[in-house]
Amino acid sequence: MNPGSRKKTIDTLLKIMLAVFVFTLPLWLTSPTYLQILIFLFLFAYLTTAWNLVGGFAGVLPLGHSAYVGIGAYTSTVLFITWGISPWIGMWVGGLIAAIVGTIVGIPTLKLRGAYFALSTMAFGEGVRVLAENTMKVGPCVIDGPRGISIPLIPGNNFTAYQFVSKVPYYYIILIMLIIVLFITWYVSRIRPGYYLAAGGEEPEAAQALGVNVAKYKVWAMALSCFLTALAGTFLAQLTLYFYPKQILGLDFSFELAFIALIGGRGTITGPVIGALILRPVGEFARIYLSAVLPGLHLVIYGLVLIFVMLFQPRGLVEPLTRFYDWILNKVSGTATGKEVKS
Amino acid sequence: MSRAPSRGPAPRDTIKSEVTLEAIIQAIINGSMTGAYYGLAALGLTLIFGVIKVINFAHGSLLMVGMFAAYWIIHLTGWHPYAVLFLVIPMLFVFGYALQGIVIKPVLEAQREVREPTEVIIVTTGVWYVLDNLALMLFGAEFRTVKTSITGQVFFLGDYFLPKPQVYGVVITILTSGLLLWFLKYTRMGKSIRAASLDRDTASLMGINQYRVYNIAFGIGAAIAGIVGCVLIPFYYVFPSVGVVFDVKCFIIVVLGGLGSIPGALIGGVIVGLIESIFPMFMTSTWTELIVYAVFMAVLFIRPAGLFGEKRDW
Repeated sequence: MNPGSRKKTIDTLLKIMLAVFVFTLPLWLTSPTYLQILIFLFLFAYLTTAWNLVGGFAGVLPLGHSAYVGIGAYTSTVLFITWGISPWIGMWVGGLIAAIVGTIVGIPTLKLRGAYFALSTMAFGEGVRVLAENTMKVGPCVIDGPRGISIPLIPGNNFTAYQFVSKVPYYYIILIMLIIVLFITWYVSRIRPGYYLAAGGEEPEAAQALGVNVAKYKVWAMALSCFLTALAGTFLAQLTLYFYPKQILGLDFSFELAFIALIGGRGTITGPVIGALILRPVGEFARIYLSAVLPGLHLVIYGLVLIFVMLFQPRGLVEPLTRFYDWILNKVSGTATGKEVKS
Repeated sequence: MSRAPSRGPAPRDTIKSEVTLEAIIQAIINGSMTGAYYGLAALGLTLIFGVIKVINFAHGSLLMVGMFAAYWIIHLTGWHPYAVLFLVIPMLFVFGYALQGIVIKPVLEAQREVREPTEVIIVTTGVWYVLDNLALMLFGAEFRTVKTSITGQVFFLGDYFLPKPQVYGVVITILTSGLLLWFLKYTRMGKSIRAASLDRDTASLMGINQYRVYNIAFGIGAAIAGIVGCVLIPFYYVFPSVGVVFDVKCFIIVVLGGLGSIPGALIGGVIVGLIESIFPMFMTSTWTELIVYAVFMAVLFIRPAGLFGEKRDW
């Protein structure tokens, strides 16, 4: 066996081990706290991957994606409470509404330059929050303004109601959702519209000159991204069973997605996952262990991490990590020539 | 915050009072005065964007730094709030200059070929988190006020009352923007700044030190945020996240007026101020915030470059 193919075998082996590890994790990790942290980690990886379709591939900076999380959460919850429709169905309705809203917002704003797009999506997100905070009722549907909605608890595990006693089912649901969304981005990056999208994101003028309808593909990406984001909104609502506008529609939420994407690596497939793997634990553990010592210290650290990563790795951490992984593979397999390994 | 006797972001009353002509005129007066310091807050943001093409998400935090600086100086020395300006302006200028030179410049250099580098936005957001939370660590979360000699005093103009701090705020806004326009138009540095904002590469070829211009523009932007801090001190609360209150407002104002436009920032500020003071007379006041966003979205649909924006920026 030559070193090249040995390297490939080790690479595949490591990936299988990773998959087995991730899928069997709840069997031995019994602490619900850690499981909850992991669930949120996957949720943010999922949301950022969806965000990345616009923020990464289309090359703009959306700062209002919490609006679509909120649309997903509110739609499925309101449908469930008012008419008893299962959140599993409501989630698709929410996704559809989010896609339509995203298209309506995207058509005028995606034509704008970066800064205008970032600020207008941000203002849109804030506008949705204010709207939710000021709405008590829409027809028979209770929104309850700033107080938010709590989903009526159904005793025991109930699949149709999307409610489970233990965290484990949520873990597997979000894990599968994450794998699907990763597959979607991988697929989008390989098909023709995906290339158009990336071309339009990097060099809009040049792509336009070559006859690519940049705006059209960006709007498509936006619709898809919003759709996927809203699905996670339903998940978040079912996981916490209580949400309110400031939390689910807040600016912090939208910003965190952008942070994760940029720390990980914008416009890459694994970037959002790596970003979530790094930034979520930093945020969570700093909050748990440091906020009692000095209020605000954890966010100072968070901010410093952002600044330092952007200073020294402006393209995100996926690049050096891929190189590091490749280096390890070479060491283990004994290859001298470091061939690129796609991870 | 638009009505005279109240201090800070107190919740406005939700009871609809009788709408008279006098009340409307008073609301217009209040709204314009509020709009003046909104516009001043947006001025620094629009200047920095115009030159560096970066939205400074730490702008509100710079304003907070200015407010805390003014607060502590007044609190410890008992100076007149506007005498403090002479200390706060140089302090914030140096702070902004250093911030740009140390933190933002390396990222800008790495992203030289990108016109609007997203990475820089994230860096400024990091600065925002660090500054706001450092203030939280140092000073705690409580809302602080400082009693100055002009707090709560009013001018009377016929039947209408004009709170003194806000009137001075308008004067300071006019002076600052006049001075800024003069500086940009007639001084050598101002011309360099304008040249760099038009075309940074050509400006560099003409012998302008691009990054020095950026440092100075950022310093001026920060100094203006410091001025706003001093203007707000007599009638506003100081707390670590006070910048966030102004951040989103400033973003809306600069997009309304057109990113990079100085008159646009001032007029955008007055528009937002007027909306916030006039609409609560006709509806529940929490809805006015939504009106601001609706107007913003409408402008974006109809005239994306804003009122005075340049087409090349969008």
